[in-house]
Amino acid sequence: MIKTNKNIQECDVLVIGGGIGGLMAAIAAADAGARVIVAEKSDTRRSGSGTTGNDHFNCYIPGVNADSLEECLKEFRQSLVGKGSYDVSIQKLFLERTFEVVQDWHSWGINMKPHGEWEFNGHAFPGRKRVFLKYDGRNQKPVLTAEAKKRGVVIENKTPIRDYLTDANGQIIGAVGVSIKNTEPELKIFKTKCIISCTGNASRLYPSITPSQMFNTAHCPCCCGNGRAAAYRAGASLINLELPNTHAGPRYFERCGKATWIGVLSDPEGKPVGPFVTKPNKELGDVTADVWHGVFNDRFKDGTGPVYMNCTETSPEDMEYMIWGLNCEGDTSLLDAMDKQGIDLSRHMVEFGQYNPMLIGRGIEIDEKGATKVPGLYSAGDETGNFRSDIAGAAVMGRIAGEAAAAEAAARPAIDDQLETHEVVKELQELCSQLMEREAGDSWKDFNYAIQQLMNDYAGISIPRSENLLRTGLKYLIDLENAALGAVGCKDSHELMRALDAFDLALMGRLIFLTAMERKESRGLHRRSDFTFTNPLMDDMMLMIYQLNGEPVTDWRKSW
Amino acid sequence: MPPTISKNKCNGCTLCAQICPLDVFGPAAPGQVPEVRYPDECWHCRACVIDCPKGAIDLKYPLPLMMLHQVVRGK
Ligand SMILES: Cc1cc2nc3c(=O)[nH]c(=O)nc-3n(C[C@H](O)[C@H](O)[C@H](O)COP(=O)(O)OP(=O)(O)OC[C@H]3O[C@@H](n4cnc5c(N)ncnc54)[C@H](O)[C@@H]3O)c2cc1C
Ligand code: SF4
Ligand code: SF4
Repeated sequence: MIKTNKNIQECDVLVIGGGIGGLMAAIAAADAGARVIVAEKSDTRRSGSGTTGNDHFNCYIPGVNADSLEECLKEFRQSLVGKGSYDVSIQKLFLERTFEVVQDWHSWGINMKPHGEWEFNGHAFPGRKRVFLKYDGRNQKPVLTAEAKKRGVVIENKTPIRDYLTDANGQIIGAVGVSIKNTEPELKIFKTKCIISCTGNASRLYPSITPSQMFNTAHCPCCCGNGRAAAYRAGASLINLELPNTHAGPRYFERCGKATWIGVLSDPEGKPVGPFVTKPNKELGDVTADVWHGVFNDRFKDGTGPVYMNCTETSPEDMEYMIWGLNCEGDTSLLDAMDKQGIDLSRHMVEFGQYNPMLIGRGIEIDEKGATKVPGLYSAGDETGNFRSDIAGAAVMGRIAGEAAAAEAAARPAIDDQLETHEVVKELQELCSQLMEREAGDSWKDFNYAIQQLMNDYAGISIPRSENLLRTGLKYLIDLENAALGAVGCKDSHELMRALDAFDLALMGRLIFLTAMERKESRGLHRRSDFTFTNPLMDDMMLMIYQLNGEPVTDWRKSW
Repeated sequence: MPPTISKNKCNGCTLCAQICPLDVFGPAAPGQVPEVRYPDECWHCRACVIDCPKGAIDLKYPLPLMMLHQVVRGK
């Protein structure tokens, strides 16, 4: 039987995932007087998608990038992070508090004004307001970690959390995970009045663009839907799962940061493929791929591709600015790889492409305070479903959720439940023991690859979805999960973590099949061969899925 | 093998193994050169290279991640 750590740590607010959202939530909750613990799968100094930097912070600085919140909101809602099925009420509250966070980050030592003034560029349309503040995020993770520690926040690294524990009334009372500090795994239990779930995007559900390299993903592949799965199992509602979201960048080196490039998306002859810029433009970047997701595949298929990022006409000053930007963005590996491969951007165009879907802005449903429908459970960042604004979204909504969770925790009595004997802890103990004790078992990797191939073929974006394919894919996925339960074996704590990741991914997959079946229309990348049109009556209708008596149920609502 | 550690530069501080977002090294013992236990789970984020106090780590990029490039046709 897998060991359980006898030391049950207690707090008022337990933050799951010390990425950008999680650290900001922890800081805010501690500022509000709560005892806070962050349980982190890796190490908060360098974990998650913001690990070595980011450089565009969506925000509203009154009188600088817009004259009114409405003006800024309008532009935000047309951008790649604000457009789509999101609640405008949350978008407004978010924007209102962006400048305050920008100022705090700057005072803590994250350089939000690297050239002495507020500078807005990238992801922008010609002649329009710009909503992305250019900053230098290289040190953001160590700085936020230090700020959290200064406030007495306890950080438990190498502690991936698997489940959120609730009492008979469905209220949050704790969480359980598997420590990977040593090669021998150990269950780790936390007792808490509130949880803020901030485990980031969900990568590794669909195949990487390079079949042999599962961890070649645009966003951090450590993030794979654990928080969504735990929240769903605890009774939360997930939203927008059926609408695929994709990213684009260097064709086979999956990486975010396309707006940091100062060039023009061009065909092999160097002719622009989009309508927005004809010459490299530092202020705008080339917003084409933000708007026309299919540009790379469309041009590939019609024989006029491939499409390249063409910086051959970028001025030397702008080239220098771009290289600096890619460093701030955390894209030093792209620079290093290009250097090692002898690529000179003033001569060479780099091919770009679209990647397979991942979940961001598809996940846990929250209200204006970041609360879910489970009492005591909050969420922020890439993991929420009805709001998204990436780095800024995680930072600001993390703060909002931290404040609200601290207030709720202050009003709740101490928890006296026995957590070691909680049903969910016992189930996890059994599952982990089975996986660890199975000799010569199948590798978690095969299970993960098998999930990816089903997701790609039966609920992907290259072949339109249909009732038939979705129903069939769901059946196969359930067969696969059952087979994996009886087959996967793990040699150490690390493999156990990955196997549990795969079971969470399979759950996300199942929920995608169910919700994709329910949306009987085509919308964006959710293309149905049996419902080829976009139904205007469903323009602001959002689809949720949650458990009722152990069974998944779907439900619709209008966006707020 | 994505990260490679130069044994004569490494001081065994274990920082790389602590901070790797993907746990590519697994647990490391102070004073020893960390093992690269799970090389194919490297995300190539370069955090270990940036943080290593001894400049002991180099990243290798697997061939499938090649940066496809060419000069503008006709130029
Ligand atoms: C190279 C790159 C450049 C980017 N540039 C920009 C940009 O310029 N502007 C922008 O707006 N966005 C950018 N993004 C996206 C941005 O980084 C993310 O939107 C942001 O980090 C989201 O914050 P988060 O807290 O939701 O998730 P993350 O910061 O990813 O944090 C999630 C955390 O949860 C942890 N975790 C996962 N599972 C568990 C578990 N089971 N238990 C405990 N912990 C867990 C992870 O280890 C991680 O620490 C970029 C992303 C990348 C990869
Ligand atoms: S960080 Fe550098 S010096 Fe420290 S253990 Fe790793 S390789 Fe060795
Ligand atoms: S590059 Fe990133 S993922 Fe790879 S070993 Fe270094 S820290 Fe880990």
